[in-house]
Amino acid sequence: MNVLSQNVALAASAPMVSEQYDDARQQREAATLGMWVFLATEILFFGVLFASYTILRVLYPQGFAVASRHTDMLFGTIETGVLLSSSCLIALAVRAVKLDQHRVAVWLLSATAMLGVTFLVMHGFEYYKEYTEHLIPGIDFKQPAPRAHAVELFFCLYYCITGFHSLHVTIGVIVIVVLAVRVKNATFGSQRYTYPELTALYWHLVDIVWIFVYPLLYLVGRSG
Amino acid sequence: MSTSDAALAIPSPSRSFWNGDYGLRAWLTTRDHKRIAILYALGITGFFFLGGAAATLIRVNLIEPTGSLLTAETYNKAFTFHGVVMVWFFLIPSIPATLGNFLLPLMIGARDVAFPRLNLASWYLYICGGLFAVASLLAGGVDTGWTFYTPFSTMFSNSNVFLVVIGVFVTGFASILTGLNFIVTIHTLRMPRMTWYRLPLFVWTMYAVSLVMVLATPVLAMTLALIALERLAHLGIFDPALGGDPLLFQHLFWFYSHPAVYIMILPAMGVVSEIIPCFVRRRIFGYRFMTYSILAITVIGFMVWGHHMFVAGQSMYASLVFSIMSFIVAVPSAIKVFNWTATLRKGAITFEAPMLYALGFIGLFMLGGLTGLMLAAPALDIPLTDTYFVVAHFHYVMVGGSVMAYLGGIHYWWPKITGKLYSEGWARAAAILMFFGFNLTFFPQYILGYEGMPRRYHSYLPDFQVLNVLSSAGASILALAYLLPVAYLLWSLRAGAAAGNNPWNARGLEWQTTSPPPKENFLSEPIVREAYAYDEPAP
Amino acid sequence: MNAHATDKVAPVSRYLWVLAALLALLALTAGTALLKLGAFNTPLNLGISVAKTALVMSIFMHSTEGRRLTFMVSLLGFIWLAILIGFALTDFTTRALVPAPW
Repeated sequence: MNVLSQNVALAASAPMVSEQYDDARQQREAATLGMWVFLATEILFFGVLFASYTILRVLYPQGFAVASRHTDMLFGTIETGVLLSSSCLIALAVRAVKLDQHRVAVWLLSATAMLGVTFLVMHGFEYYKEYTEHLIPGIDFKQPAPRAHAVELFFCLYYCITGFHSLHVTIGVIVIVVLAVRVKNATFGSQRYTYPELTALYWHLVDIVWIFVYPLLYLVGRSG
Repeated sequence: MSTSDAALAIPSPSRSFWNGDYGLRAWLTTRDHKRIAILYALGITGFFFLGGAAATLIRVNLIEPTGSLLTAETYNKAFTFHGVVMVWFFLIPSIPATLGNFLLPLMIGARDVAFPRLNLASWYLYICGGLFAVASLLAGGVDTGWTFYTPFSTMFSNSNVFLVVIGVFVTGFASILTGLNFIVTIHTLRMPRMTWYRLPLFVWTMYAVSLVMVLATPVLAMTLALIALERLAHLGIFDPALGGDPLLFQHLFWFYSHPAVYIMILPAMGVVSEIIPCFVRRRIFGYRFMTYSILAITVIGFMVWGHHMFVAGQSMYASLVFSIMSFIVAVPSAIKVFNWTATLRKGAITFEAPMLYALGFIGLFMLGGLTGLMLAAPALDIPLTDTYFVVAHFHYVMVGGSVMAYLGGIHYWWPKITGKLYSEGWARAAAILMFFGFNLTFFPQYILGYEGMPRRYHSYLPDFQVLNVLSSAGASILALAYLLPVAYLLWSLRAGAAAGNNPWNARGLEWQTTSPPPKENFLSEPIVREAYAYDEPAP
Repeated sequence: MNAHATDKVAPVSRYLWVLAALLALLALTAGTALLKLGAFNTPLNLGISVAKTALVMSIFMHSTEGRRLTFMVSLLGFIWLAILIGFALTDFTTRALVPAPW
C-alpha cells in the first residue's frame, strides 16, 4: 500500500472524537469508566435476586437443598464451562482487534457467540425438563410436601435469576454478532477498539453473574 | 472568536443555544445538554401540576370529616397517584435533570456532558415511563400507595399495578443513565485547573446524587420487576402462603427509597450552597466539611432504610441498628445547616427572591430534619407511624426543602438560561406567599399526627376537622403561590429586561459566559479560581 | 492525536492459563459439592466463585491495569450489594431471637 492509501486506511479506522472531548484518549477513558459504572448497576440489579435468595435460604435451608437437587447439575456445570470459555475467547478477540488481526478476531467473536447460543440451548433443555417435572411455579407446579413451599420459592428465584441472566446472554450474543460484522468490515482495529472492549466487559459481567449463580442454584445439598 | 469580541461580552442573539437549530425535530433530536434540560423542565412542570391536581383532590376531600367527596377506593387512588407522580416524575428528576443537566458542564468548563446521546435517551425514557404512569391513571388508577407493599400489590389489588410499575421501571433507567453520565462527566471533563476542591458545591451534590442514582435505582428496578412477575406469572417470592416474606419486599423497596430521598435533598442542598454565598457576598463557611458531609450523607444514607419498617415486624435488633444509623446520618446534615448559617454571619445579606427561597429552605429543612430525627427513635416512631406526623415530616423536607430550593434555583439561574430578568417584586411576593401557605398546610399536620390522625384514610374523626380545614386552606394558598411563578416567569420571556452575563455578580464559571450561553457553552476559556471567591472581584 | 494500540497486550498464553485455572476451579467446586462437608460446602463454593471472579476481572477485564478509579468502580457494585445483604440479614437472622413485640 502506498502512503496515501495507508493514511486513508488509518483515517478510516481512526476514532471520531466527539466535540466535548479534548482527544481520543479522554474519550476512551470516559467510555471505559462509563461502562464500569453500568456494570456496577448490573451487579446491583442482579443483586436483588441474590439478596432475596440469601434471605430465603437463611429461612429455608433444607427446603433449598431439596429444591437444588432437582436442578440438572451436569447441564449446569457444562454451562458454566461454556461461559468461562466464551469469556476467554472474547478477551482474546479484543486482543486480536488491538493487534489488527481482523480474521482471527472475527473467528473468536463468532465462536463466543456460538458458545453463548449453546448456553441458551442447554438452558432451554433444562427448562423443558423442569416443565415435565412440574417444577415451574404458576404452570402446574406440583411437588411433594412437606417442603413444597420452599421448593416453589426456590424455583421462583431460579426462573427469575436464570430468566434475567438468559435475557442478558441473548442481548450479549446479538451485540457480539453485530460486533463481529463490524470487525470484519475493519471498522475497528489498533487505532479504534473501545467498542469491542466495552462489549467484552459486558460479556464478562454476564459470565461473572453466572459464576455465582451456578453454586447457589445447582450445588446446594448435593452431598445428600 | 477573537478575545476582544468575548471581552466585549455582547451576547450575539444568533449564538444563543435557543437559536440555530429551529423546529420541533431539532429539539427532539438535540444532543445539547442545555436543550435537554429545557425538555426535562417541561416534563417536570407538567408532572408537578398533575401530582398537584391529585393533592388538590385529597385536600378538598379532607375538608369534611366524612370525606364524602371521594370514595375510599378513589381516595386510595388519589394519594397513590400523588405519591408516584411527585416522587418519581417530579422530585427525583427535578433538580438533577433540569438544573443539573444545564449547569454541570458549564460549572466545570466543559462543552457538554460525557455522553450526550445517552442524555437524550434518558429524557425519552423519562417521558415514556411517564406515559405509562398516566396510562395507569386513565385505565382506572392504582390503589396500593406509592410504596406498593406486598402482598396487596402483588396478589390482591385489582388496579393497574402492572402499568404503573412498568412506568416507574422505565423512568428508573432515565435516572440511572443520568447518574452514569454525570459521574463520568465530573471525573473526565473538568477543565484544567478545575480541581475537585475548586468545584462549586452544586457539582459535588450532582456527583453525590449520581452515585445514589446509580447504586440505588437498579435495586428498585428489579424489585418492581418482581412485582410485575408476581402479578403476571405468579412467581411469588413475597407470597406469605408459600413462606415468602412481605418484609423482604419492604427491605428491597426501602433500600432504594430511602436513598431516593437523598436524591431529592442533596441537589437542593447544592442549590442553596450556590445561592447563599452570592447574596451574602461571602465564601461559604467550611467548604471542605461541606464536601465531607455530602459524601457522608450519600454513604450512610444507604444504611438507614429499616427506619421505615420499625412497626412492620422486623427484629428489634435490626430496628436498633437502623435507628442508630439514622441518628448518625443526621449529623452531616446538621453540619451543613450550621455552615450555611455561619456563612450568613457578618455578611452583606440582600433578600432577592432566590435568597428568600434559600433562607426558607434552611428553616423548613431544619424542622423537617428534626422531626425526622424524632421518627428515627423507635419509641417515638411506633405511635407516630402511619399518622400525619410522618406526612408532615416528609412534606417539610421534600416540599419545604427540595421544592423551595428547586424554585430558588430556577429563579437564580433564570437570567442565565433565558437571558431575561423576571419581576423581582412578584417573585418575592410569591416566595413569601409560598412560605406562608406551606406552613399553614403542613404544620397542622404535625399536630394532627401527634393527636393520632392516621394517614391514607379518606375520612377522620370530627375532632380533627379544624386542623384539617386549616391545612386545606393553606393548600389553596400554596397552589396560588405555585401558579404565580409560572405566570411571571413566562411573562419575563416576552417582556423581561435583558439579563447580561452576570446579573447577580456571582462567582462560578457559568457566569463567565453569555446569557443565554452559546451552544458550545463558552466563547473564550473561562478563568478558574477558588470556589465562591466573593472576596475577589469577578473575573 | 489518534488512539494507538496499547503496548501492554498480554500474550495468548496468559489468557489460556487463566481459562485452565477457571476450569480447574469449576471442577473443584463441582467435586467438593459432592463431598459431605456440612456447613463448609457453601463458603467453599462461594470462595471459589470469588476466586474465579477475581481472575476474570483482573486478567480478562484488565480491571487492575487501568486507572485506579475504574478499579474502585469495579468493586463498588459488590460492596453496595454487601450492604444490602448484610443489613437485611441483621433482620432475618435475629427475628427468632429478638422479635418485635407485636
